[in-house]
Amino acid sequence: MAEKPKVIEKPDVLEQPDILKPPAVAPLVTFPIEVVVPEVRQQTPAVGQRATRADGRLHGLGQTKYIDDMYFPNMLFAKIKRAGVASARIKSIDTKEAEAMPGVVAVITGSDIPCNSFGPSLKDQPVLADTRVFHAGDGVAAVAAVTEQIATEALEKIKVDYEVLTPVLDPLESLKLATPGVHAPSANIYGHKVIKKGDVEKAFAESDHVFEGSFRTQMVEHVPLEPYACIAQWDANGRVTIYSTLGRITLGRADVARTLGSRIRIVATVVGGNFGGKNEIRAEPAMALLSKKTGRPVKCVYTRAEEFTSSTTRHPLIMDYKTGVTKQGKILGRKIRLVLDGGAYCSWSETTLGKACILSAGPYNIENLYAEAFVVYTNKTMTGAMRGFGAPQVCFAYESHMDDIAKALGIDPLEIRLLNAFDEGSLSPTSQKLHSVVVKESLLRAAKRFGWNGIGNGTGNGNGA
Amino acid sequence: MKRRGRGMACMWYPIGFTVAANPSAAVVKVNEDGTATLLTGTVETGQGSLTILAQITAQELGIATDDVHVVSADTDATPMDTGAIASRTTYVTGNAARMAAEKAKLILFDVAAPLLGVKATQLEAQDHKIFVKGFPQRNMHIGDVANHARVVSGQPPIGSASFNPETLALDPETGQGKPFGTYVYATQIAEVDVDDETGEVEVLRVVASHDCGTAINPMLVEGQVEGGVAMGIGFALEEEMLFDANGRHINPNLTNYIVPTSLDTPEIEVDIVDSYDPTGPFGAKGVGEPTLVPTAAAIANAIYDAVGVRITSLPATAEKVFKALQAKREQQPKQIGTGAPPAAGASNNAAVQ
Repeated sequence: MAEKPKVIEKPDVLEQPDILKPPAVAPLVTFPIEVVVPEVRQQTPAVGQRATRADGRLHGLGQTKYIDDMYFPNMLFAKIKRAGVASARIKSIDTKEAEAMPGVVAVITGSDIPCNSFGPSLKDQPVLADTRVFHAGDGVAAVAAVTEQIATEALEKIKVDYEVLTPVLDPLESLKLATPGVHAPSANIYGHKVIKKGDVEKAFAESDHVFEGSFRTQMVEHVPLEPYACIAQWDANGRVTIYSTLGRITLGRADVARTLGSRIRIVATVVGGNFGGKNEIRAEPAMALLSKKTGRPVKCVYTRAEEFTSSTTRHPLIMDYKTGVTKQGKILGRKIRLVLDGGAYCSWSETTLGKACILSAGPYNIENLYAEAFVVYTNKTMTGAMRGFGAPQVCFAYESHMDDIAKALGIDPLEIRLLNAFDEGSLSPTSQKLHSVVVKESLLRAAKRFGWNGIGNGTGNGNGA
Repeated sequence: MKRRGRGMACMWYPIGFTVAANPSAAVVKVNEDGTATLLTGTVETGQGSLTILAQITAQELGIATDDVHVVSADTDATPMDTGAIASRTTYVTGNAARMAAEKAKLILFDVAAPLLGVKATQLEAQDHKIFVKGFPQRNMHIGDVANHARVVSGQPPIGSASFNPETLALDPETGQGKPFGTYVYATQIAEVDVDDETGEVEVLRVVASHDCGTAINPMLVEGQVEGGVAMGIGFALEEEMLFDANGRHINPNLTNYIVPTSLDTPEIEVDIVDSYDPTGPFGAKGVGEPTLVPTAAAIANAIYDAVGVRITSLPATAEKVFKALQAKREQQPKQIGTGAPPAAGASNNAAVQ
């Protein structure tokens, strides 16, 4: 049992009257007025210097202003109602009760948006779902209220009547013709790419060994420290200024202008991490419309849950590899099939499909290659741009496969890579002549730095067991 | 018992896509105090790209990084940019910034040439000065030249330029062609401990040898590599968005969706491979995305080296590694010591989907 606390006759806080000063404000952050510029920023020539970042000082002092720190007079706070069902037909949306709530200033739905579709390549993504829900994170209505709390409460008052449909969740199911179209009448396969070089079947016939492997990767999110955020401010001249966490404002302006048909200025603030997740617009058109409707600036900051379910993610891949090699480990031919789970919308799938397909053979000289890639719709969170655009997935496959081949042939993993790796002037899978190629240098340097001693190097029982 | 394993993975990654137009524009103004302002439509997303662009601009003008003020990311005030994507900023926007700075510099040379009594082609900019090649003592401060340009010559030293790696379509049937401006290469080697009773994997050390062309700022390259490796560890071992049978995401929070923290981050040794790409600004290519590309593969190979199970689906959670170990034990007859090596073929290895 803890000791009974003593009764304090005179709270010692009274001896520190500063603490009681109302209102309770955080102490003023002070910083040195004399700014000492690090010498490395003042040296010439500038290239090659380990120059510190101009924004580092502000980050360190907590003075960087992110969107969540920005405020405009009369600003409203917006929240978006999420569908919560993966696939459904929207029969009706009733916003009356929410609109009647004290503190709620405006509510909009998809039908308020002049052109309710966007996307970097296929325009298959609604700003707010109006007739169909394609994944559980779809927005169906947006509320602007005087506080974030009231906006959140108002979401509960919005009644949506759904006809729930069976979702398509497995990309391999989606690939089959018999599976109902996620975006019917469009087909589920919305991207297809082939790279063909030499004669892969002939190469397999000439090979001493043919190896097969199948690999899968999962869906992950970018998890930036700062979730998606924006503030829209519609002015009396009909120009709208949008402060946003976007990583590509030129494209963002084109996309917002298409949905609203108005004059747009986009200012990207300091972004708290992107990793590809902020490469296209999200709620900007809805916020701009709320601002137009209310005549007041409107701010929207995604919750962590929304950042997961309602922004883009990394494509899960299903990868099948077949490789023919000589006894010495030289790759003669490789056949690859990739299936990308594209989620509910296209987003940057075409770019990811292209990069994954081109890179899937690895940094190796392979004269006979057949790589085929498909991307399919499923009723899951949309997949899009993410650091690597398909490359980490295929690298996991081609490098795991490479070690399996090395192991089976009794060749050191370093040796088999050096045997097959690109040289200066090598031809890529698309027959592009490569320049400034240093893959062998990187292998040798990493091996030297690490202390790689060849096979059986691991102290575990795996490698030689 | 903990078993140690080592695994390597190498990769290639393209910089500057050319299958679609990929332009960036930039404006450089040289100011009367010898500083310069760079206008760019790209966005600083935390990677340090604005510092890199300042260094490239400063290098071309012969001034220091701190002398270049970068104004960015306002569609009203800055020129268009394809954006902070695809590891393109150093290569594409960097080329645009260098070319814009060069144009401003050539105006300064035109202004300075009669003052120094030589032709503009005989001038060079270095260390805040514009001087006659081979005669560095015959020089003018860059700020004085910029001021002279304003008050006497009437030629404001402003340069604007755009760069677009030549757009080329691929053959639609065979996919053959030149889809990218250039490529970078890298190798990572991981050392892991795998607990063969629990399946838990701990990454102890990663050596990352990366090519980025000229390292405009080696410190920022190291920062990118360290961040990329950490992200790769999350991809390899921890992170996964899970859905229920109705397609609802069931772990949309950082309690159930685990991302690596500083405690999960091993010792990362960054090695920058010497390389120079003539098509990039001062030989630079890029480094942002490639840093996480080989990490998961290197870790998966290290797990195999440690305990002899091939993880064929990510993430390699403790549960998955444990199940693979169990399957492997069930396959093998009980034995003491090491047995004969398995026959050729990856299919003989215990695998788990």
